[in-house]
Amino acid sequence: MKPAVPPRDDNPCRPRHFKPEPCAPAPLEGPAKQSLETSHTRLLITGALLCLAFLVISARLIEVAGFKAGEAHIARVAPAERPDLARANIVDRNGVLLATTLEAPSLYADPKLIHNPERVAQQLASLLPDASESEIAAKLASNKGFVWIKRQLTPSQEFEVNRLGVPGLEFRTEGRRVYPKGNLTVHAVGYDDLDGKGLAGIERGFNDILRGRHEPVELSLDVRLQYILHHQIAQTIADFNAIGGMGIIMDVNTGEVLAMVSLPDFDPNAPGSATPQELFNRVTLGTYEMGSTFKIFNTALALETHTSTLSSSYDATKPLHIGRFTIHDDEPKNRWLTVPEIFEYSSNIGSARMAVAVGTDRQKEFLGRLGLLKAPSFELREIGAPMVPSPWGEINTMTIAFGHGISVSPLQMATAVSAVVNGGVLHRATLIKRPAGYAPSGQQVLSLKTSEEMRALLRLVVEHGTGKFADAPGYLVGGKTGTAEKVSAGRYERHGLLSSFVGVFPINEPRYLVMISIDEPHGNKQSHGFATGGWTAAPAVARVVERMAPLMGIQPVDEDSPEIRRSLVVDSQGPQGRKFAAD
Amino acid sequence: MMRLSTLLWALLVGVSGYVMFQVKYEVVQLEDQLTHLNHRIDTGREQIRVLDAEWSFLNQPARLEQLAKRFLDLQPISAEQIGHLSQLPRRSPTPPAAAAAAAPPSAPSQPTAAPRLATARAGVVR
Repeated sequence: MKPAVPPRDDNPCRPRHFKPEPCAPAPLEGPAKQSLETSHTRLLITGALLCLAFLVISARLIEVAGFKAGEAHIARVAPAERPDLARANIVDRNGVLLATTLEAPSLYADPKLIHNPERVAQQLASLLPDASESEIAAKLASNKGFVWIKRQLTPSQEFEVNRLGVPGLEFRTEGRRVYPKGNLTVHAVGYDDLDGKGLAGIERGFNDILRGRHEPVELSLDVRLQYILHHQIAQTIADFNAIGGMGIIMDVNTGEVLAMVSLPDFDPNAPGSATPQELFNRVTLGTYEMGSTFKIFNTALALETHTSTLSSSYDATKPLHIGRFTIHDDEPKNRWLTVPEIFEYSSNIGSARMAVAVGTDRQKEFLGRLGLLKAPSFELREIGAPMVPSPWGEINTMTIAFGHGISVSPLQMATAVSAVVNGGVLHRATLIKRPAGYAPSGQQVLSLKTSEEMRALLRLVVEHGTGKFADAPGYLVGGKTGTAEKVSAGRYERHGLLSSFVGVFPINEPRYLVMISIDEPHGNKQSHGFATGGWTAAPAVARVVERMAPLMGIQPVDEDSPEIRRSLVVDSQGPQGRKFAAD
Repeated sequence: MMRLSTLLWALLVGVSGYVMFQVKYEVVQLEDQLTHLNHRIDTGREQIRVLDAEWSFLNQPARLEQLAKRFLDLQPISAEQIGHLSQLPRRSPTPPAAAAAAAPPSAPSQPTAAPRLATARAGVVR
């Protein structure tokens, strides 16, 4: 290419058509020089600023291209839950769903946008069956910017409301708590209000833990056992025309509650219609005088303190008078009874004499050690504190020996009986599943020897004593009946009974405790008019054991085999020279 | 020279502009797709929750018991139905026909331990 620059021109960038006039450079003086300098400075500043801007851009470029490449906007999967709906599921020990949260549309309105409140209210009332027209109209006529019309609609109601096409009616998706098992686990799981706040049970006790958690909360309950217990208690209540009942199944070696039933109960999906009786959790909140089942503790105490041995005997020839009270037996034998006989025939007189031999202080200390004198710690908030006599005199010592004059909750009772039979270790009762292989730390509250003696005595009751109907062949049930007269208006009611049976199986190597109490049963034809624990609760316990043992993988044993016999011998000579091997 | 470089730059500007918008539209499209997928994941999760709840509802023990009563000829298992392998009579070492031929019919053949049964782990047999 030929150079197109004129020889005089030293600027290569000048356009070809531009021919400057040759002139001599004028000397710059005065104002001209000054303005030239000003523009120089301005040019310099502008240039510097531009340079800076480019520097910043390059730096940013290097940063984005070189260092931030890994952090580019990467597609993310939607978060697991909508945070406003999040509330953890509740499942049983086998992962069966007990409580979950589903989306439900809730209808609200902005009254300022609604021009014809009466008409809209009329339309809405016709679509929403349990809403009153006047109430809706009042809400729509208010001055607020937001009013709830109805919470948690069904999908078809949502569709119908949308079809009205009224501006100002809006939906908001809310979480609705659903309990697929209905009544079955209601007192353990509890229920929520519309805003997702727990009002009872685990929902209340674990409210903060459930909120905003993703993993389900695993309860110690087993829905299958829960159903077996629920079914049997309901049937017993119906058979004996009772007003209520409660029961608990506990793993005696860990303190886990496998089933917990309080009847009457209610549907947690519609808690609004529940009566106070239905809402009441009899297992944990109710405290009762448990009656003769308390003789388990009385006998364990006497054996533990060595004030009685299995061969000691006590005078039960006639009722015991103390002050204005008389203690008598339900089925008086009118003779001296040995300790195993007192337990087997459930003698109040004998038990009272055993307790007197132990003394008030030691009785108080022992019951305290078993956790029967103060409210237990448990995951539920519905916890009843025991009613303990004050002052605790000798008469109280005598009545407590057979379970009157002290009220405890069935939960406390089950926890303490578990400790008596499991080798003497008290485990805190819990509704939360223990991980597999978990070795619970417990507190040794009585000796292994006493515990073994108590097992043999409990078996004796079922084989020959008051608890014969609790026998589930092959599963070695041991247990104790209890029939308490309920206090009404300050006096004991002869016919208002609380009939209980607390059973443990297999008693030679205890694994599970089944306790059932029936509130105010009335004798029927099959029971020959009896409504005691041995006739009402004991057969129910036997049926529960028969149903649950195969589920829990417990192998039936031959009850007459020598090994079993030997493990359950009560080494004692009765007055008739009878040997109390449990046979 | 001048023209060529100008042209080159103009071309580069054009190409990079085109590519940029191309990428941008692609990103917008992908983001739409992402939103859509996330929405479907949400819906799917909600459906799973509903189905879980329904599964649990339909598996209420009381309902299962009724269905079992209506359609199955089964009853709760009782203790007598459960046994131990050791309770089984021991197997005869010779086949029954041979044993019958060898032993006189009046004397019942004495069962002796069959090694397989004797070492077998105790299990539950219905």
